[in-house]
Amino acid sequence: MSNSHMLRPGSYYFQGNEACIEGAIMAGSRVYAGYPITPATEVMEAAARRFPQVGGRFIQMEDEISSACLLIGASWGGAKALTGTSSPGFSLMQEAISFGIISETPFVIVDVQRPGPGQGYITSGQEDVMQARWGHHGEGSLIALAPSSVQEMFDFTILAFNYAEQWRTPVILLADETVGHMRKRLKIPPLGEINIVNRKKPQEMGIRPEDYLPFGGSEVPLMANWGEGYNVNVVGLVHQPDGHVTRYSPELDYQCIDRKLRKIEDNVDKIAKIDTRFMADIEHLIICYGTPSRTALEAVMEAREEKGVPIGYLRLITLWPFPEGMLRKLIPQVDTIFVPEMNLGMMMHPIREALRDKAKRFVSIPSMGTLHSPDLILSKIYEELRK
Amino acid sequence: MKHPMLKYMKETGPCGDRLPTILCPGCGAGQVLNYTLHAVDQIIKEDKIAKERFLFISGIGCSSRLTTHYLNFDSAWTLHGRAPAVATGALLANPEFKIILFTGDGDVGAIGGNHFIHVCRRNLDMTILCMNNALYGMTGGQVAPTTPRGDYTTTTPYGNVENSFVLCKLAEVAGASYVARWTTAHPQQAIRSIKHGIRKKGTSFIEILSQCPVHAKKSAVEILRSYKTKTVKAKNAEKGDNRIPIGEFLDIEQPEWFESFQKIIDSFASEERKDQNE
Repeated sequence: MSNSHMLRPGSYYFQGNEACIEGAIMAGSRVYAGYPITPATEVMEAAARRFPQVGGRFIQMEDEISSACLLIGASWGGAKALTGTSSPGFSLMQEAISFGIISETPFVIVDVQRPGPGQGYITSGQEDVMQARWGHHGEGSLIALAPSSVQEMFDFTILAFNYAEQWRTPVILLADETVGHMRKRLKIPPLGEINIVNRKKPQEMGIRPEDYLPFGGSEVPLMANWGEGYNVNVVGLVHQPDGHVTRYSPELDYQCIDRKLRKIEDNVDKIAKIDTRFMADIEHLIICYGTPSRTALEAVMEAREEKGVPIGYLRLITLWPFPEGMLRKLIPQVDTIFVPEMNLGMMMHPIREALRDKAKRFVSIPSMGTLHSPDLILSKIYEELRK
Repeated sequence: MKHPMLKYMKETGPCGDRLPTILCPGCGAGQVLNYTLHAVDQIIKEDKIAKERFLFISGIGCSSRLTTHYLNFDSAWTLHGRAPAVATGALLANPEFKIILFTGDGDVGAIGGNHFIHVCRRNLDMTILCMNNALYGMTGGQVAPTTPRGDYTTTTPYGNVENSFVLCKLAEVAGASYVARWTTAHPQQAIRSIKHGIRKKGTSFIEILSQCPVHAKKSAVEILRSYKTKTVKAKNAEKGDNRIPIGEFLDIEQPEWFESFQKIIDSFASEERKDQNE
């Protein structure tokens, strides 16, 4: 896997979008498909430059629909596959995500979010956080991660591939224009320190092709790639564990889809990651994710130092599955919960639902099309505390 | 005696019997499957190509149902119109696959038209078998891009006012390497064409006129007879002949995507070997 064109351990100065591709290469991804869109184009240009250098294949497709559908074939063909896009393109990828969920196909989509609806704007946004989870038709869950630094564009892309392989699911990296275009230090650790997860295969468990269940047998079914003699029938209709589709029944529908939901939602404690600071003796709390976590942390530190406000900081690294149980364990009874988002309060909905009895007030701090300044967050905190 | 092609079908599986297929009596899709499996069988024997290298991919529609869970091959029954994109992904992961796409005139001519022309343009190595019944069968007989002008369907109750697509011409101008048209009434010609298409490096597009007796409201026999009487070998067609031309329309050699891209990958690999030697 290692070759001289891979980044050697050390410190680099990198753009977020380009760091994502280095993470993908490190994770073992060798297939990239995409369609140009601002502000995600550098992800694609980096892949066009870098993938052939490491023996990978890159293709510019005719649209985002085919880019995402390509990942399905590439994944069953044995590759770790990736596409990058921005919000309008992400809308077009929803049918492939839906198919990826029912067929339990691992792949990664990087969404460098921009504001919407429509063309919206070409600046920064976090307006796809709900689309990532609920945009596809039908039931079933998936995993979405929110990076906030150039380093995390690298680290979380690796984590996204690891999760995709481990849980056999599409994984969405919910970046935004700010982190995508940010240039900061990127530290590549020694290769031995990077954890890489690969899909579990029936061959390793001694399962014969005639007994193989591509959609059953365990919580996360084993995955045989095409070309390995397992005669896998990948289907998008409600199916039995062996891929049999014709004998429909409500019970079969429930069993088929419920497991695909449960394998993610019931393992939320294994999947979800949360970063907390200053959580002792707090009366208020800021809950944030993605790039606004940077200015939110600064605002929290300033409020504590300048005016002694007892406010804590909690960052969601995993947005989906939503870690309700973990939040309830971590968060004490407080007065006010502030939620800064580059949207009009989207993640406020699951946050308020999960913590409805934990706080007296829930205050959304929106910033549309641009990252919050620490002052914007601070002034909102002070304004609320004066009430 | 069992049908000789049953060895390539999954008669049963861990969760029960899989045959018979969902197809209506008299449907042409079963014939096309039979012809395709004969072609694949001959290639496996003649070219010593491992069965594991064959991969069947389809979209949505009656023709696409051939790849659901019946085939004893690796397969994917994917999204409406998107089979060319899924197949492209499989090739990017492993260019050794011998890919056969089962599609229909609605799947490849309407919803998947863009993916279809771009697969041809890239000259990706796959064989696209389009079963053309000139309507949407699975949803109950609606107008398709291939329905003749004036025809009555459930969505053209007063007659079709649109011109129809000639898919073979579309494939030709889009850049495919091999283009042919046959009908379900031409089994040997279809088998020979499918074999040639599979062997051809690059995109092969083979259209097979395939009867839908249910929605055409005619007997399968009547339609099959018309496939004989209302078609003409392309090379024998004279100007003004209203019959449908059949036969091979295009068979050329041209650069294929993977060979070209592999040269780029190889240039970096040789650069690396040079670095290691220095």
